[in-house]
Amino acid sequence: MKNFKAALTKLPQTIGRRLVEGAKILQKGDARTRLSCLIMGFGSLTHGQVMKGLLYFAFEIFYFYFFFGFGWQYLKDFGTLGTAAQERVWNEELQIYQRVPGDNSMLILLFGVLTLASLVPFFVLWWLNIKSSLAAQQAIENGKKPNSFWQDLKTLVDERFHITLLSLPMLTLVCFTVLPIIFMILIAFTNFDQSHQPPGNLFTWVGMTNVTDIFWGDPVKSATFFGIFGWTMVWAVFATFTNYIFGIILAIMINKKGIRFKKMWRTIFVITIAIPQFVSLMLVSKMLTDTGVVNVLLQKLGWISQPLPFLTDPTWARCTVIVINMWVGIPYTMLTASGILMNIPADLYESASIDGAGPVRTFTSITMPYMLFVTAPSLITTFVGNINNFNVIYLLTAGGPLSLDYYQAGKTDLLVTWLYKLTVDKQDYSLASTIGIFIFLIVSTLSLIVYNLTGSVKKEDQFQ
Amino acid sequence: MKKLLAFALAAMMLFGLAASGLAEGETVTLKVWGSQEDQELLGVLVENFKAANPDTTWDISLGVVGEPDAKARYLEDPAAAADVFAFSNDQLLDLVNADALYEVTRNLDAIVAANSAGSIESATLDGVLYGYPMTADNGYFLYYDKSVLSEEDVQTLDGILAKANEAGKKVFMDVSNGWYIASFFLGAGCTLGLDENGKQTCDFNNEAGVAAGEAIRAFTADPAFLTGDDSVLTGGMGDTICAGVSGTWNAAAIQEKLGENYAACKLPTFTLNGEQVQMSSFIGTKLIGVNTQTAHPVEAMMLAEFLTNEEAQQLRFEMREIGPSNSNVAASEEVQANIALAALAEQSQYGVSQKYVLGNFWTPSEAFGLAMENQSTDDMQSLLDSMVAQITG
Repeated sequence: MKNFKAALTKLPQTIGRRLVEGAKILQKGDARTRLSCLIMGFGSLTHGQVMKGLLYFAFEIFYFYFFFGFGWQYLKDFGTLGTAAQERVWNEELQIYQRVPGDNSMLILLFGVLTLASLVPFFVLWWLNIKSSLAAQQAIENGKKPNSFWQDLKTLVDERFHITLLSLPMLTLVCFTVLPIIFMILIAFTNFDQSHQPPGNLFTWVGMTNVTDIFWGDPVKSATFFGIFGWTMVWAVFATFTNYIFGIILAIMINKKGIRFKKMWRTIFVITIAIPQFVSLMLVSKMLTDTGVVNVLLQKLGWISQPLPFLTDPTWARCTVIVINMWVGIPYTMLTASGILMNIPADLYESASIDGAGPVRTFTSITMPYMLFVTAPSLITTFVGNINNFNVIYLLTAGGPLSLDYYQAGKTDLLVTWLYKLTVDKQDYSLASTIGIFIFLIVSTLSLIVYNLTGSVKKEDQFQ
Repeated sequence: MKKLLAFALAAMMLFGLAASGLAEGETVTLKVWGSQEDQELLGVLVENFKAANPDTTWDISLGVVGEPDAKARYLEDPAAAADVFAFSNDQLLDLVNADALYEVTRNLDAIVAANSAGSIESATLDGVLYGYPMTADNGYFLYYDKSVLSEEDVQTLDGILAKANEAGKKVFMDVSNGWYIASFFLGAGCTLGLDENGKQTCDFNNEAGVAAGEAIRAFTADPAFLTGDDSVLTGGMGDTICAGVSGTWNAAAIQEKLGENYAACKLPTFTLNGEQVQMSSFIGTKLIGVNTQTAHPVEAMMLAEFLTNEEAQQLRFEMREIGPSNSNVAASEEVQANIALAALAEQSQYGVSQKYVLGNFWTPSEAFGLAMENQSTDDMQSLLDSMVAQITG
């Protein structure tokens, strides 16, 4: 975060320095170097670096072909995201209304982003091309021979080895993560929703409308956002800590001296892991309906006269998902906790019992601090994972019961399941994208803050 | 340098040729979307189509996209969607807004003449026909158990509930579903429509609507009331359930469960402000549309027409017992003898077309139905006000 801020404040400075450097290069460079600004690789080519020069030139040709042949048709409409929708023209011969393709806002946005982003590598290479021409020129002036292509290549496995190693990961990261994210973020500032679907209807920029809508502009949407956000937090806290605490207690109970058949108990609890999570969740959701096994059984036994609203009453449904999640998640915590518990030095407990500490005291003063110290980072991961715990919610209740207070959402919907419904069922992409940005902000801030506060980060060196 | 130029030009010509498309003897590649249950039928029909048009080389592939999902899947990427796809007619408006459908202009008169007026109307917007009618049975009615309920009993909802309570049986209706719950409101005279901007209008919160809401509240509070999904109905019919509201897709399963006691009829009347009012229903059709993004519009239209012609509808009825929109098939003896389809035809005179129902209707109406099933004691007027606000919002 600090680095990012520093980089941002330094940005004008950096640009300034580059401009000065550029002016110096043009001043020092000869005509051939200066011409490289227009014809990439010209300087290198005429300074004896034929292969390098040709490659630069080929790149320029390729880039101009890409930019004017492909990118420009989208980039020119980037400001409006297209104006002409698909049109129809009567074709007498075929007896049909033929379609004249119009603009497609989504393609304009997508390829516009791609073309804009492609300017960055272009200018970097353009810059390098001038610099390399100057370097070659100066080498000749100093009576040396400029690096041959082969020599340049060799540096890639030597002093510039980091470039060789990192270029592929960086390239894939930018193509498959950064660019799609920019595209998604931009959708949040458009009105790309159900009634603005290309090719029949185009969408356009609407500024911050979607953001203001979910905060105060649209009462139903903001009520939904804050209602779901609140429940998401409650859910994440409960889902994380119930699993954590009960898992540890279970592990301690099994681990206790004098408990027989330890392995058998552990196996029994681990069996729940053996069944794929989604299978058990969908089965349970069937079992808990009004006419499901549980209600029918209880009614047959005469314990209840009306079916219990496990998944249809808001409060019941919320408790149900938390409890079912415990059943799904506790075995995992138990496994981790068992491993860690066995690693706590036994002499700690011995000295504690000599000092007269009871079981509660040993738990709060030895077991828990030790556990927390080791598991805090994974606890954060679990918490963040629970904020976005799509499976449990969607497969158990599908966000239901639906509520009239909410916009296209139910009382157990998390932000992420609401987002899913908005995109898949309602094609409300702009709103969904806005929510996506906020989920990201919430999750990243929370994890950064909590992570920096944990003992395992602050007292890294003190691990015993 | 000259060589390079020549090479580049040659390459460009190659690309140019590829882009301009093939002319004579080309293979027509078409993709068709249909529901999982329709795949076998579509396979047969596509083979027949190929046999009937031997002059062209066809490459027709089938994809599984059910009619209810067609719009959503289409809008994900119109260019990658099927050239010919089946959808239910409540999606017509959204699809036309996205300019997704070719108008039916070829053989228009023959198609209009062959299909029932209602099914043509269901595919028409502003006087333009946008789809090829395929089925006319996307509606619901009452199934009942003859051993429990008499023809007299099923005339009124109160009568059904009284008999059911006497026999200790349940009456099934999925009230937490906008499609079914609308039958009360529409029966009470409320309407769904569109304003001049194409936005949904809904007056379910007027006086009649509030009374209908109270009728729903009374119905869901009845001890004999039972809700759930289709599996609850087909599983319990004959055992714990004596009557249920559903459509033709469950006919075979229910007939199997009830055997000799199988019966179906129009929906009953319900008590509105002390008077008996006939329950209405949504009637929808399923249509086949031609994607405006298709490379072969004329061939796609030929296929769409073939998939919905008289022989195809006859075959569809034989294989799947689906109610035809084609007048000749509908008038055939087999169709007339079908109990479920007869009940549907009886109900359809009270039905309301689903054409003007936009996507925003379903979630709020389901939420309202759920509140009723949970025996909400909130003020009916305010519940309906918030439902209508969301539907029209």
